Amino acid sequence: MIADASFLKSLFCGIIPESMAFPFPGPSRAEAEETLAILDTLKRFMRTVYEPQRGSLDSPISQEILTEAGSLGLFGLSLPRAYGGRQLSPTSFARILQELGALDPSLALIVRAHQTLGAHPLVRHGTVGQKARWLAKMASGQALAGYALTEESAGSDAAGVRTYARSEGTNWVLDGKKIWVTNGPIASVFTVFARTSPVEEGIKPKLTAFVIDRDDGIITNAGINMHGVRGVQVGTLLLENVHLDASRVLGTVGQGFMIAVETLNHARLASASAASGSARQLLDLSIRYARERAAFGRAIGDFGLIKDKIASMLSEVFALESMVFLTTGMLDGAGSDCSIESAACKVFGSEVLQRVAEGAGAIAAGRGFASGHAVERGLRDARHHLVLDGTNEVLRAFIALSGMQAPGRDLANVVKAMREPIKGFGLLGEFAVRKAKSALGRERLTRVHPLLNREVVLFEDYVSDLAKNAEKMLRRHGVAIAEMQYSQRRVADLAIDLYALAAVLSRTSRAIERRGEEGARREVDLACIFAASAEKRMAANVAGFDKNDDEQRKNAAARAYQDGAYPFELF
Amino acid sequence: MKILVPLKRVADPDNANKVKVTAGKLDTTGMQWKPNPFDEYAVETALRLTENGASTKVRLGEVIVLTVGPKEAETQLRGALATGADRAIRIDATDDDLDGDVVARAIRAVVEKEKPDLILVGKQAVDGDSNQVGQLLAEYLGWPQATFAGTIKSEGDTALLVGREVDGGTLTLRVTLPAVVSVDLRIVAPTSVSSKHSPTHTYADGVRFAALMAIMAAKKKPMVEFKLSELVSDAAAKIAYTTHELPPPRKAGIKVKDVAELVDKLRNEARVV
Ligand SMILES: Cc1cc2nc3c(=O)[nH]c(=O)nc-3n(C[C@H](O)[C@H](O)[C@H](O)COP(=O)(O)OP(=O)(O)OC[C@H]3O[C@@H](n4cnc5c(N)ncnc54)[C@H](O)[C@@H]3O)c2cc1C
Repeated sequence: MIADASFLKSLFCGIIPESMAFPFPGPSRAEAEETLAILDTLKRFMRTVYEPQRGSLDSPISQEILTEAGSLGLFGLSLPRAYGGRQLSPTSFARILQELGALDPSLALIVRAHQTLGAHPLVRHGTVGQKARWLAKMASGQALAGYALTEESAGSDAAGVRTYARSEGTNWVLDGKKIWVTNGPIASVFTVFARTSPVEEGIKPKLTAFVIDRDDGIITNAGINMHGVRGVQVGTLLLENVHLDASRVLGTVGQGFMIAVETLNHARLASASAASGSARQLLDLSIRYARERAAFGRAIGDFGLIKDKIASMLSEVFALESMVFLTTGMLDGAGSDCSIESAACKVFGSEVLQRVAEGAGAIAAGRGFASGHAVERGLRDARHHLVLDGTNEVLRAFIALSGMQAPGRDLANVVKAMREPIKGFGLLGEFAVRKAKSALGRERLTRVHPLLNREVVLFEDYVSDLAKNAEKMLRRHGVAIAEMQYSQRRVADLAIDLYALAAVLSRTSRAIERRGEEGARREVDLACIFAASAEKRMAANVAGFDKNDDEQRKNAAARAYQDGAYPFELF
Repeated sequence: MKILVPLKRVADPDNANKVKVTAGKLDTTGMQWKPNPFDEYAVETALRLTENGASTKVRLGEVIVLTVGPKEAETQLRGALATGADRAIRIDATDDDLDGDVVARAIRAVVEKEKPDLILVGKQAVDGDSNQVGQLLAEYLGWPQATFAGTIKSEGDTALLVGREVDGGTLTLRVTLPAVVSVDLRIVAPTSVSSKHSPTHTYADGVRFAALMAIMAAKKKPMVEFKLSELVSDAAAKIAYTTHELPPPRKAGIKVKDVAELVDKLRNEARVV
């Protein structure tokens, strides 16, 4: 992991590595053409196979549809060509997931969880023998793959894993229970994370990743009834006395934590890609409805407050899409480390989708409140993005602490710092030292089209604010920074807005270069709208570092925990 | 059987960017393209006619797709290759310089080189809707033709029984090969196309779509390019477009109170009764 080859990490030091974000990346002509051909196939599949067979969108997607999706190749999109996958570039894969997110968020989740969560650990850490044994079946969709980390006692905090792998000679015996496994009820192979050190109070366990077949004795339940993405089956895995030989250990013993974290880093971008498609779909619905629905003798879209919602949705969807495809472009290229960028995309993506879904709900009003209406389902489906692949609360801490930590350190350290703030500080302390210089960039943004000069100044000013405040927070809180979640949130939100803004400026500049000022009118408008709203948020965040009611808020919550409930009765 | 299928790209009607007219000329910048649907039906028909029920891997014959158009139109050719066509030919030309007659003459030149047994065309392209190329081509070649085919039954691959969709129902013709056949929408119904070597299963309604692996494999299939001038000595179009205009936007409808008012409007405003 080359920590410095990260756009966002550089911004934390006040350095703008412009060449990483400009010009706005895009696929080659041949790759674009191939991706469009896949999209065309996908749309035809949806029309001729999926739609006629789907039935209620609130019931699990049938095995027949999944089998057809498998023979089409949907389950091998990103998996290695050597094992029958398509090995699409990050950009093409994201584009397909975006479309899936628009067509059906449930199908998008089934497809991406299989590849980015279930199969990814094997792709990254499997031996040749392990890959040969499982990957071809996974790429064809014959075997769906599940990722089993979460447990009753281990959600955000993976160190709470209780599932225990006892060694017996060179073999392993596993006991435990995993919950919330996407595709669990229908998958046939699982990456299971178990502790290979005994439970000892206060001591972080060693985790190890295992590849386990359903036939090894895994029992799954029928899946839970969920609030949204009801086409997906998510369920429990029961491991009772499951005997495995050494060939099932993925990576090395004790490497499980790193594998789990690395997989989630990878999965987050897929979440944001799908979210951008779902948001686009809800926006399109809203645009159509605003034009068609009449009230007070006009189309409701004529009213200022409806226009305002549509404009916000447009600018946010535009920003999200730009951010996702800037990140995939970085990954296509030099293979920079995009774990912070991906986390930023996931947080921003899930929240943009949430806001767009709410906007769509407001526009659809009564109709959107009826069960089964596209907007009502859209609202429910949107929420899984907030939780899965790391909650947004945890990811904000992750973005802030990763951005502030010393160069060259492993990301797992950040998680350690969150768990053990005192010991963890050593990992973060060298931040100030590296502020000095970097060969990567400068403090100015020079490649944005002059039409956006105002936005450039805004961007540069707030990059400098981010760097100054990150350093100030480290100095002020020292050891305690890992506990300072209010400051972390401000730092993270600044970073997310700045990253979105950089992506928007880059994409809009490319549009102006290609199509001239008039031709790129729509992009320029949306860029300005997005910049103006980001400015308001960033200004509030910067001001908040020095003037805030953080302590009062903490105390209010602490008192409420003591009271055990809302403390008042009016009479 | 060797089948040649001409295939045109047309502006995608589902795309938000509609065709624009600038100073009397069509402006296609920013448009998305897709294969003309009737041409896709022709490709599907060709694939069904060359299908081998005994062994799905080997096609009984060859399907060649052809387009007259710019480099970008290769995208649509590759799409057809991905669904199963064997090779592709592109005759390089700009859309503005073409009319149905030039296209028919260019295809004739290819037919003389390739000597296919059958030319399957879509009944018309959904952009210009001229409905000319198939008929002109048959005339230039001196081949029999059957237009608007809704069903095709191959008789030993030497003649075709073609059910033509005509106003009064279906008119069945027997055409001896080589021939030109233009196809209509119903040709892609599950049992519309048959031959002695058809597979036993019935087809899904509509055209097949490419599996993702096939899209990658299609890149390796042969694609050759000709210059229009290599094929036709006189490439001048016979139709000259003097100007283009978009149709006027539709006016909003009105509600009438009763039949009397309706009749009044029809008589005095619309002047149709
Ligand atoms: C549809 C769906 C599919 C899923 N699929 C899978 C899967 O395939 N495999 C798998 O292993 N898991 C899966 N999960 C589980 C998911 O990863 C967990 O729900 C998630 O990690 C959160 O854990 P938790 O629900 O236990 O919440 P908790 O960890 O209990 O968190 C509760 C709340 O506390 C907050 N919180 C926790 N720690 C901190 C902190 N340090 N700072 C600030 N706030 C904090 C959280 O943000 C959250 O708001 C899935 C979940 C859903 C909803």
